[in-house]
Amino acid sequence: MKRIEVKLSLSVVAPLLDLMKAASDVLEAQIAAPITLDDIDADFREDWKAELLQGQHEELHALMGLFNSDFFVNGVVAFDEENAEVIVRACSALRLRLRRHDLKVLGDEQLESGAVDIERLPDALQKPFMCYVFLGTIQELIIQHLDAAILRGPQGDGEEGSGEDTGEDGDA
Amino acid sequence: MVDASGFVAQPSVEVPTPVPSRADAMATGGPRFAGTQPMVAPGEVEQTRTELAPQGPWRVVVLNDPVNSMSYVVLVFRKVFGFPEPRARKHMLEVHEQGRSVVWSGLREQAELYAFALQQWHLTAILESDEAH
Repeated sequence: MKRIEVKLSLSVVAPLLDLMKAASDVLEAQIAAPITLDDIDADFREDWKAELLQGQHEELHALMGLFNSDFFVNGVVAFDEENAEVIVRACSALRLRLRRHDLKVLGDEQLESGAVDIERLPDALQKPFMCYVFLGTIQELIIQHLDAAILRGPQGDGEEGSGEDTGEDGDA
Repeated sequence: MVDASGFVAQPSVEVPTPVPSRADAMATGGPRFAGTQPMVAPGEVEQTRTELAPQGPWRVVVLNDPVNSMSYVVLVFRKVFGFPEPRARKHMLEVHEQGRSVVWSGLREQAELYAFALQQWHLTAILESDEAH
């Protein structure tokens, strides 16, 4: 089983954990992505949302679980074929929350380009932005090293979507 | 790997550490939301025929967001639809440059499964009826 162990700087990461926990707590009751579900039948909407929230909860639980007592001893977090997918998703959820709440004053282009000088940000934005970058870096690490495992699935289920397409792609 | 976000080393060893994970919607049969209802009124059983509308065709559209990275979106398209990387990248670029990409179209039930799977990955996915276009 492929596994990545990452040694983190406790002095850099530890101060971010409170913010991650706070965002995670909010996402117990709120879907991270800005979706309305208006296009879903009203009869199913609540169940749909509940299932999304349940999945989101499990992802965030797995992510926050990385930063346990062992982490504060050795500063190491580990990613493998079992947790790669949920951790990547959890990072996405937290980044969406940070963007919508803590970093809403930043422009989309700034965030997408990464052209942000942390030291020039107001104090209140520095920690959220560092957290945003940190989570993005975790995602990229996992995608770079464990994408095959994610595509294969944790139990080797392997078969993703059918790939069926009617050729109507790209007509935005 | 060293960067400003706190990463100071990246040793790699082979030690399994199982962590509970959740199969996605496509693996588990997806959510139970398909709005499939009989379209036959009482007394019309002998004249039953299959109709697509309003079950389909429907489009699954992914909208741009400034948060999820290009590599992440490509991974999601490969995972959810089984797209080869070039095709996943093409759709990602459409989302990025045009603000949206139609990633699948077909029957409503399957479209719902795909939309749900994409939303599980925190992409902004919506359903659109082809008839609206």
